[in-house]
Amino acid sequence: MKAIKILERVLVSIPIMFGVAIIVFLFMRLTPGDPVDIMMGRGGAVSAGEIEKLRSEFNLDKPLHVQLWLFLTDAVKGDLGYSYVQKTPVTDLIRERLPATIELALTALLFALIISFPIGILSAVWQNSLLDRFSMAGAFMGISMPGFWMGIILILVFAVKLHWLPVQGRIDFDAQLAAGTGFFVLDSLLSGNRAALISSLKHLVLPGFTLGAGIAAILARVLRSSMLETLRSDYVVLARSKGSPEWNVVLKHALRNALIPTVTVIGLQVGVLLGGNMIIETVFSWPGLGRMVVAAIFQRDFPLVQGSVMVYAITFVLANLIVDILYTYLNPKIAL
Amino acid sequence: MENKQPLLEIRDLSVVYPSKRGEVRAIDSIFLNVEKGGRLGLVGESGCGKSTVLHAISRLISRPGKVTCGEILFKRKNLLKLSSREMRNVRGKEISMIFQDPQTTLNPVFHVGEQIRESLRLHNIIPGTHLPWPFDIARKRQEKERVLQAMREVGIPSPMDRYATYPHQFSGGMQQRALIALALVCEPSLLLADEPTTALDVTIQAQILNLMLKINQDHHTAIILVTHDLGVAAEFCDTITVMYAGRIVEQGPVDDVTMNPQHPYTQGLLACRPVISKIDQKVQPIPGNVPDVIDLPPGCAFAPRCPQVKPACLEGPIPIFQTGEKLFNRCLAQVSYERDPLWSWEHIVRQCDE
Repeated sequence: MKAIKILERVLVSIPIMFGVAIIVFLFMRLTPGDPVDIMMGRGGAVSAGEIEKLRSEFNLDKPLHVQLWLFLTDAVKGDLGYSYVQKTPVTDLIRERLPATIELALTALLFALIISFPIGILSAVWQNSLLDRFSMAGAFMGISMPGFWMGIILILVFAVKLHWLPVQGRIDFDAQLAAGTGFFVLDSLLSGNRAALISSLKHLVLPGFTLGAGIAAILARVLRSSMLETLRSDYVVLARSKGSPEWNVVLKHALRNALIPTVTVIGLQVGVLLGGNMIIETVFSWPGLGRMVVAAIFQRDFPLVQGSVMVYAITFVLANLIVDILYTYLNPKIAL
Repeated sequence: MENKQPLLEIRDLSVVYPSKRGEVRAIDSIFLNVEKGGRLGLVGESGCGKSTVLHAISRLISRPGKVTCGEILFKRKNLLKLSSREMRNVRGKEISMIFQDPQTTLNPVFHVGEQIRESLRLHNIIPGTHLPWPFDIARKRQEKERVLQAMREVGIPSPMDRYATYPHQFSGGMQQRALIALALVCEPSLLLADEPTTALDVTIQAQILNLMLKINQDHHTAIILVTHDLGVAAEFCDTITVMYAGRIVEQGPVDDVTMNPQHPYTQGLLACRPVISKIDQKVQPIPGNVPDVIDLPPGCAFAPRCPQVKPACLEGPIPIFQTGEKLFNRCLAQVSYERDPLWSWEHIVRQCDE
């Protein structure tokens, strides 16, 4: 029964993907700046004939609806076209960059959860204590601080001044890591390469923390407020009246209920993980999807932007599907 | 007459909540006695401190409230002197509670059966060694058997199917039955019932009261029933304590209190109950409002609303008078009373604060 419902949800997301594809396609065409002009430069060294040839090669001379039709039919077949600039299939480029982005996003999520859960729970249990006040002030700062600024400060302190962590990149240049899944932590674990593992983990700390800190701040506040609510509820009094020890009351009876709103927020923050990483990847020179997209937008590399945004959209839809499924396990009143 | 031993004795218990406007004496020097298998009714309007008494007994007064003086003797142990670990062993095992609103009291995310089983597990009711999670199947099965038995006893139909359902799949009456099963599964000797029928339909109310009566008789479980409905208390209890503004105003066997109430407040409570057999009757409400417990008058708290008020009522604290073998009454109207200028109720209160 549940499997059918999940399949239903997956099918519903197909029209969403089409919508995303059309919107991305149109918005790229609406942005001022012509890809061929940008590629050829403004000097006029290239003849009009060559420009026309390039245009027809990229199908840019065709009417807009034909271009859209070509893009959609190819995309359905799994062909996202060739990058104008790099002359390689977009799918290859994405496949190369995606693992770095996922690795960073998961690290950030891990940081966010590890930081926010103890803080959120404890500041609810000890409401108005010193810990509560300090951590909520910290959370306020975490929400207000822009990611790029925090990233630069962290680089200055921990990389430039203290030399504890690397400034940028995914791994040391001299690390000998055989190509594999593209997830460097996983690859170095599989090949048993200790040096590469340590190096790739060290490189993850600063960008992961920077990306995760904002989410941690939001989660800590959400978790605190929902814990405050569940800790005052009747079922918590019932749990105490059963003779339940306090840790069991907090971690089982109150937390399980407080997770319901928190998981919703985690699902929404996946968007931040994806969108925010464009900035963080640029600050830390992280060779991920986000940095590639930023470059592709400046170069009006239509196919690459379209393809990457499609990947973002798929990830976002998938993450929300996972949250919805998780939700049905957390909240018995909700059916999928 | 059989000599009944006291199960619970509350002596001079006071609970205070500090607030911005001053101290709130939620309950003020309460004396109670519950015998083994007895049924005590605590009656009063909302805010009179009757629920606070129950919370004080199970030591679940929410901060910043605290017990300022008195003792709660349960099986001759003072509960207020127990460590929190010892108190946890009493809660749920020897003293259980059921609550007003079953809908919000059961935890919405756990199966009803599992919530009942948790009580058994917390108190190690099933003997034997306690193995960690994947190896506890045998014990779990025994515990489940006990839970099903308890569910059957409180009248939950087809408990096998109901074990693994969530609270929202139960009706209000069934939820309250499940909560009673939860409270009774460890066979406590005292059950604290905090307005257990208030949130239920009248027909379900009667069923739940009959169920509690049956449990009281079958298991000899003493029950303290908190209710604002003197009628419910009159039907159910053998002793009734009427509270007003945190103080006991009248206490005695059910027949004396309901047939021949001494205190004007009890009389007022009885007069404002409509009687179905009478045609064209007018319900007599008690004039005025429940007083602000922060700012009580120096004398009788009920004096501003009392039809029989005398000048002496306003002067100072009113002591409790014993008017019968087990009858107590805090009212000057029925007794000829000369205030002794040297004696003061505050004096006693201060003594126990020290």
